[in-house]
Amino acid sequence: MKIDKPRQYVVENLKYALNPRTIAVVGASRYPGKVGYQVIQGLKDWNFKGRIIPVNPRADTVHGLKAYKTVADIPPEIDIDLVFVAVPSVLIKMVLESCVQRKVKLVTVASSGFKEVGRGDLQNRLTQYCRDNKLALIGPNLLGMGSPYSNFNCGFIPYLPIAGPVAMISQSGANLLAALGNSQTMRFGMSFFVGLGNKADVDFSEFVAYAGQDPNSKCVSVYIEGLDSEEAFVHAARSVVPHKPVVAIKVGGSTIGVKAAMAHTASEAGPGDAHYDKVFERAGVIRATTWQQFLDISLALGLMPPLKGDNFVMITNGGGSGLLACDHFERSGMPMKELPIISGGLSQRIRAYMPAFGSPLNPVDIAGTANHIQYHGALIQAIRDPNVDGVIVSTCPTAITDVAAITDAVIDLKKRFGYLNKPIIAQLQGGAECDANILRLRDAGIPAYRMPEQAVDAMVSLRKYAKIQEGLSTGAAAPKKASRAS
Amino acid sequence: MKKDILNPVPYVLGGPDRQKWMGKYYFAPRGIGFLEPGIEALDAPAMSAYNITKSAYQLKSEVFNLDWLAKETKLSRSDIDQRIQRMYKDHLIMLVMNPATQIYGWGLYYWFVKLKEGTTPEQKKDLSEWFQNKDPICTGYETSGGDFDYYNGNHMRVLDNLLSDVIGPWKDRPEVEFVHLAPIRRDVRENSMNMWDAPGEMYREFNWSENHMKNLAKVQDKLDEVDIRIIDAMNRKRAVEDYFNFKALSDISGLSELELSAGIKEIVENKRILVPLVFMNWQKLGLTYKMFVVRLFQITPCHRKAEIVDELSAIDDFDTVFEYTDSFYDIGLWACNQTTDVDALRKKIQGYADVEEVKESDVTRQYRRWVCRLDDQHNFWEECVFTDDFLLDLTGAREVK
Repeated sequence: MKIDKPRQYVVENLKYALNPRTIAVVGASRYPGKVGYQVIQGLKDWNFKGRIIPVNPRADTVHGLKAYKTVADIPPEIDIDLVFVAVPSVLIKMVLESCVQRKVKLVTVASSGFKEVGRGDLQNRLTQYCRDNKLALIGPNLLGMGSPYSNFNCGFIPYLPIAGPVAMISQSGANLLAALGNSQTMRFGMSFFVGLGNKADVDFSEFVAYAGQDPNSKCVSVYIEGLDSEEAFVHAARSVVPHKPVVAIKVGGSTIGVKAAMAHTASEAGPGDAHYDKVFERAGVIRATTWQQFLDISLALGLMPPLKGDNFVMITNGGGSGLLACDHFERSGMPMKELPIISGGLSQRIRAYMPAFGSPLNPVDIAGTANHIQYHGALIQAIRDPNVDGVIVSTCPTAITDVAAITDAVIDLKKRFGYLNKPIIAQLQGGAECDANILRLRDAGIPAYRMPEQAVDAMVSLRKYAKIQEGLSTGAAAPKKASRAS
Repeated sequence: MKKDILNPVPYVLGGPDRQKWMGKYYFAPRGIGFLEPGIEALDAPAMSAYNITKSAYQLKSEVFNLDWLAKETKLSRSDIDQRIQRMYKDHLIMLVMNPATQIYGWGLYYWFVKLKEGTTPEQKKDLSEWFQNKDPICTGYETSGGDFDYYNGNHMRVLDNLLSDVIGPWKDRPEVEFVHLAPIRRDVRENSMNMWDAPGEMYREFNWSENHMKNLAKVQDKLDEVDIRIIDAMNRKRAVEDYFNFKALSDISGLSELELSAGIKEIVENKRILVPLVFMNWQKLGLTYKMFVVRLFQITPCHRKAEIVDELSAIDDFDTVFEYTDSFYDIGLWACNQTTDVDALRKKIQGYADVEEVKESDVTRQYRRWVCRLDDQHNFWEECVFTDDFLLDLTGAREVK
């Protein structure tokens, strides 16, 4: 249901969705094959430190824990931060009344069977009831939420991501699961995650506002199927983007996608895809067009500072990857500049680290024979130059390339020159040694990718964010050109 | 003519086009389970009234129509409320459903197991625990002191799945003497409640005689006469409007009374695919049941078998009445040892010249009431575990793994 701006009581209580001291699980089951069992098992497996209270009218104990018939039956001396509900939709009203009676701070409803199956009226009435009683409701039709910083993983989610900078707010459970599943293997760190489902009450905007306050969140990433409360979203995003970037992907714009979004999370057909370009522009939000791009730029924005100018340098040992990159930069509206234009003496200084047949333009091709010492030297020259705003390092292994040593050089670059606050992005295209070192780089806080276009998208997003910040700090309107990634 | 053949006739079970459809397509249903058009999923909106009641009666007796019960029993609402809550809390009653398995496409397969002489109690216990924990066994009984040791049942779509996944794992144990399948042809009565295959208009009639009720109060000390009257009234055949309290169900769910009432009325009264039942937990009361399993002479024609079943189902003291098909056995009947004259019932059965043999055993333990577990000793009281072998090949020969 629509809201005009993020509600303060909701934003304040969202911390309990991600780090509750006490969680009651309604629908807690004694049977391993059931969701209500696995929710509690998951909490235990992920080493949740808070108190778990099963609610089940048929059992005295669940998982060896004392169970209560209803939330209202839980002794009054126990403060209940969060209630997770996994019972059929026809019982939710009764559960919500019990939550209100016990002054629960937040309720999450995993159950389906509301607006997405034609019971929009019921969903709206229950939502209004929650609002009348200041009970924040996440869901229904929700996958779950959690945070690696509190070892909290609640719902139908088999993965806890690695701790990191990205707040992942998703309307889709499946895509959230994909991101969470990749987190461990691809070293994509998250501060928290939530699958909002039908977002009957708690809206994107409120999680965006919460992420703005969350010290672990450095980038706020939002997957949207339908935006019911545009003004609230714009309001929340504009309050966050002066300090943290917000990335969004809006799907369901195709003819059949509109219908699919309705069936999936009850998202109604919006005013058209171009409209969302304008909404995101007003909000100061960077829009991604593909899921891969969404993840790539989220990682970059979470790990790196904004790119404060257009003078960036690419150091590569592969002319081909350089060409792919510079074409994609131009397609993205951010053409590369030749090195002499960026800085008079830089090309000469970099020549010391390449063979005579290398190319000191930009991309700087230090040739396939380049070793880690040459990479290190060229990178230091680039990043130390006051006229350079950021660097991309690209490696295409030849038989003599030591990818691990080059990775060490890049990590050292960040350690020694991180204080300059210039973005460093890496791209390693090749075999298993490249994939392994991409993970090492990410663990070291450096966005690293397999493909040149991914690295380009990342750098472009950092520039876009810098421009958004500049626009806000000068009091100017958001950039007129749609800030949609290529 | 060709145009006629290609012209589709819509048909929904119980719908206005039923006769028209039958005029074109009439043929006798084949097999034990056959998927009917117009069925409702067990979690469909039309089932909401039952589903809400099933999940809330532990908290609020008022989900039942207490006004109707008060009128029938001449007790106060509050007395009925307190007694229902006490009986539930003590695990003496449980609200359950009987779905018309065959129209969901399941065959209802029961099977008898006889263990060899000399089987140790430990071996029997081991097998009992396996049956207790095997989820596809939706209803099962342990018996003793008679011609067989178990009588278990499954709702399954594929007979091979039953044989491989449920029976296969233990049937070659040395202590097993036989396993005999007894697929249900007619589900006439279960736990004294008449099912869809009851003769005439006896569907949903509940069969506790005055005599049985009086005896029941005497042979155990957990239910008094008033409790028994309440259970009897709760199960009595009546309009759906008198069964549920739709105002209470609406308060719980937020759905309209009209929607709730119309849906369940269609399911229970028109389509006849669900019979609600307040199950009395006889194990907790210390009761046992005599299970008679009747084999007719094989020359007995089907219509005669049906007649015999109809006649026996007129006897209220039979708690359960099944007609089997494609089996060594033809009829299953059981009656409470403590409240009925089982000798008289045996004589009645033996009185039929069509009967070749009657096997019998005493039921001492029930694992589940349909999919609801009854084993509170394992902390699984009323844990409902629904299974379906839809699209599954459990024979180990599946092509897609």
